[in-house]
Amino acid sequence: MTAYLLRRVGTSIIVLIGISIFVFLLLHAIYPSPARDVLGLKANNAQIAAWNQQHGFDRPVIEQYLTYMNQLLHGNLGYSYADNQTVGSLFAERLARSIYLSGMSLLLAILIALPLGIYQAVKRNSLGDNVLTSAAFILYSMPSFFLGIILIQIFAISFPILNFEASQSTNIWVVVGDWHSMLLPILTLTLITVAAFSRYMRSSSIDVLAQDYIKVARAKGLPERLVLTRHMVRNASLPMITLVGLFLPALLAGNLIVESLFNYQGLGLLFYDSLGKADYPVLLAYTLIGAFFVVLGNLVADFALTIADPRIRLA
Amino acid sequence: MSRFGTMRIGGLALAVASLTALAACSSSSSSSSSSSTTTTTPGAITQPGSVGEIPAAGTPSGTASTFTYALAPGAVPNWILPMPTSATNSVYNVFNFEWQMWPPMYYAPSGSTPTIDPTLSVANPPTWSNGDKTMTITLKPWKWNTGQTISSQDVAFTFDMIKAGVKASPANWSAYVPGYFPDILSSMSEPNASTIVVNLSKAVNPTWMEYDILGSVPIMPSFAWAKDSASGSTLDFTNPANAAKIFAFLTAASKSVSTYATNPLWQTVYGPYKLSAFNDTTGAFTMVPNTTYSGPHANPMSTYVGVPFTSNAAEWNAVKTGSVDFGYVPQEDVPQISQLKGLGYNYYGLPDFGNYFVAYNFKDKTGNFNAVASQLYFRQAMQHLEDQAGQIKAYFNGAGDPAYGPIPAFPKSPFLPANAATNPYPFSVQSAMTVLKNNGWNVVPNGTDTCAKPGTATGDCGAGIPAGTKLAFNLIYNTTPPIPGQVEDLASNAKAAGIEIALSGSNFNFMIQNYNDAASTANENKWAMEDFGGETNSTYPTQFGVYNTGGSGQIGAYSNPTADSLINTSVTGANPNAVTSEASFFTTNLPVLWQPELDYIWAWKTTISSSEPAGIENLTQYDNTPQYWYLHK
Repeated sequence: MTAYLLRRVGTSIIVLIGISIFVFLLLHAIYPSPARDVLGLKANNAQIAAWNQQHGFDRPVIEQYLTYMNQLLHGNLGYSYADNQTVGSLFAERLARSIYLSGMSLLLAILIALPLGIYQAVKRNSLGDNVLTSAAFILYSMPSFFLGIILIQIFAISFPILNFEASQSTNIWVVVGDWHSMLLPILTLTLITVAAFSRYMRSSSIDVLAQDYIKVARAKGLPERLVLTRHMVRNASLPMITLVGLFLPALLAGNLIVESLFNYQGLGLLFYDSLGKADYPVLLAYTLIGAFFVVLGNLVADFALTIADPRIRLA
Repeated sequence: MSRFGTMRIGGLALAVASLTALAACSSSSSSSSSSSTTTTTPGAITQPGSVGEIPAAGTPSGTASTFTYALAPGAVPNWILPMPTSATNSVYNVFNFEWQMWPPMYYAPSGSTPTIDPTLSVANPPTWSNGDKTMTITLKPWKWNTGQTISSQDVAFTFDMIKAGVKASPANWSAYVPGYFPDILSSMSEPNASTIVVNLSKAVNPTWMEYDILGSVPIMPSFAWAKDSASGSTLDFTNPANAAKIFAFLTAASKSVSTYATNPLWQTVYGPYKLSAFNDTTGAFTMVPNTTYSGPHANPMSTYVGVPFTSNAAEWNAVKTGSVDFGYVPQEDVPQISQLKGLGYNYYGLPDFGNYFVAYNFKDKTGNFNAVASQLYFRQAMQHLEDQAGQIKAYFNGAGDPAYGPIPAFPKSPFLPANAATNPYPFSVQSAMTVLKNNGWNVVPNGTDTCAKPGTATGDCGAGIPAGTKLAFNLIYNTTPPIPGQVEDLASNAKAAGIEIALSGSNFNFMIQNYNDAASTANENKWAMEDFGGETNSTYPTQFGVYNTGGSGQIGAYSNPTADSLINTSVTGANPNAVTSEASFFTTNLPVLWQPELDYIWAWKTTISSSEPAGIENLTQYDNTPQYWYLHK
């Protein structure tokens, strides 16, 4: 286990360094310097040159990269010239908000989708299954932006019982307690995720139900409730663990569309805005931290699988 | 922000903000005649080209209120020192934020008119002498909220801060152009506490100096800011070394976004408002009235709250739910504008002072395009193919106005030349073909025109255009609506005249970096025309920096000696009307292909009035003056 962990960590570090080089070079290949975007079309050459010097863009790319990595190793994510704040503070302000929005919707989606998928598998081709399948397809094919607009129209405009925007507080505990404002954005994300997860869970459950060990369990006279809870759920959930692991980066990535629609300052929106402002330090930090979460998510999923399925051993 | 890039001001960049650029109106309106088709109420204000109306002001309720003002996505303040850097020079930092606390010496616009508003200006108009090399500025007896009168010492301090900032980096002051202010500032003297005499080393156009330079300079409090640390004592700022330290201290404070509302520095103001809260995550802010404000205002003044939005959809939802008092109408939602009255809002829109265009690349040698574009007749033919009325109707939903030069026909401008009030090159495919035929081209409608008469004589194609040269080239466009529709329309009309335009989409940031002869010489043969949006004019709308040879804002390397001379006169000559002559030349000489203007429409609650009509009109120019707003009975 320890050797496996060390190998994975070592590989992850190499992957992260590779990503940092790739992203750094990619940005600098597209825009050797973002000065023109930052200063505006009419900025004169003296202003462009001064800005480049101030931000190190007048130096060779390799030197810029090494300087950046040196800062990174010292915990300095850089300074956003577009927002006039350190990248660290920008992330700190938004991380908890994004984690709450994404995490809560992910949690709700799991809690709803798992039993729903199992129900559909057990009651396969029943009226209930068909209705839920249709609903899932509708939700799954619906862009989150469209779903959000519909929910806002119904619950905030036509029947104003909920707020049209998410909580504007910067205190995460106030945000958590403000269900009146947070319900619609969380619901928007949850519904779409439920649609996806329930389809996976239904499919996985149907596969498991066709396995010999289920037939054996039933043949032995085990009550159906125990067949399902002891033998089916655990096995059917294995693919879901991998799937949820892949969703972990979303905790950081935030949800650009929902954040944008519900006026919620999160990390997804920060990244999008930074793209428009050519704010390299934010883009680099975001990409690297996103990569870190992807690697972490996969690692967590691998470990979770060993717990859920004793047949799997890490080596 | 859709159609364009960052919304900047002053003589510096801009291209109209995409997110906030608006369009369209109700189907009952039509472009330039929209006002004439609108039913107006008694006392209401409209003007040619406007959408909606400003109702007559209501009787004040006498109650102070809190007015919320929508901030467009990405439009939150991130700079407070009233000396914007090149990177922070946006209307959102300056108009909506800094100027509420420290308005400029000479305030513009005046409502929707690009002129100085003397009532909002801290100083009386400067007087000029010594061949326009000496200006004398007399201050009004306005006061700081700390009780002191704004003094000539404060103005001197401000100018010294600008000098120190520019010396540290040319990017530290957005209005800086090498060779002009403050480089030409040779000496200052203060004969009394309200007068400062400024000597310049070379003559400048007084109107340009007043409108575009001093019009972007608020005054800084020397008694409170002339120090190099929070606890430091007042320094002699006339000493350049001290000035550098002070500037560094103020800049560092301005970078500390989280302390904007708590740093005592920023509590010394003379404008109508004082910052009381600032959220550095969302950019939301609250300003309370400066009870000692010396300028005109409603009585009582109300609290002013900037409410940020992450998308146009979120902002429009806020309007639909009545959650903001002042909100803009996003371009994509203009078709819903008729709902606003029912939702309890008035609305009013006009284009801002700027111009939208398709740029020519005068350096693109591909297919001899550089030689073709250099021919005025070709540019005239292209302008004949621009169907402005059709585009306003089809792509702006009717909420837009035609523009025939750098100064748009709407809104009203004292600088508008006569030849830009009506279209000198009206839309006509036939006229375009005639122009080409008369200049040596074999015109093949819906085919490809070729040069049949090479040469430089009258009726020939022109210098550098060999026989057989085809009128076929590319046009790169910003994919933000309504630009794609507009360029497709142009290409379609051009095809009818035998001009083949190959369209390809891109984005604003990439375009101004890569399809820009000044910034990217390696790509100068890769684009013939491009449409990234437009530019916002300064109050004094000279195209200095845009169409002068080697101008820093040059995209396609346009160069014309007459243009250079006219621009030079606008900036350094004595004639206040020089800029009108300059605009007249560009209206006919067509350095770019002029396009129609989008209206910028604002909605405000019907319970709110302004003590001055300008207090609503100026919303259409990204400006706001909440000191005029009040609740009415």
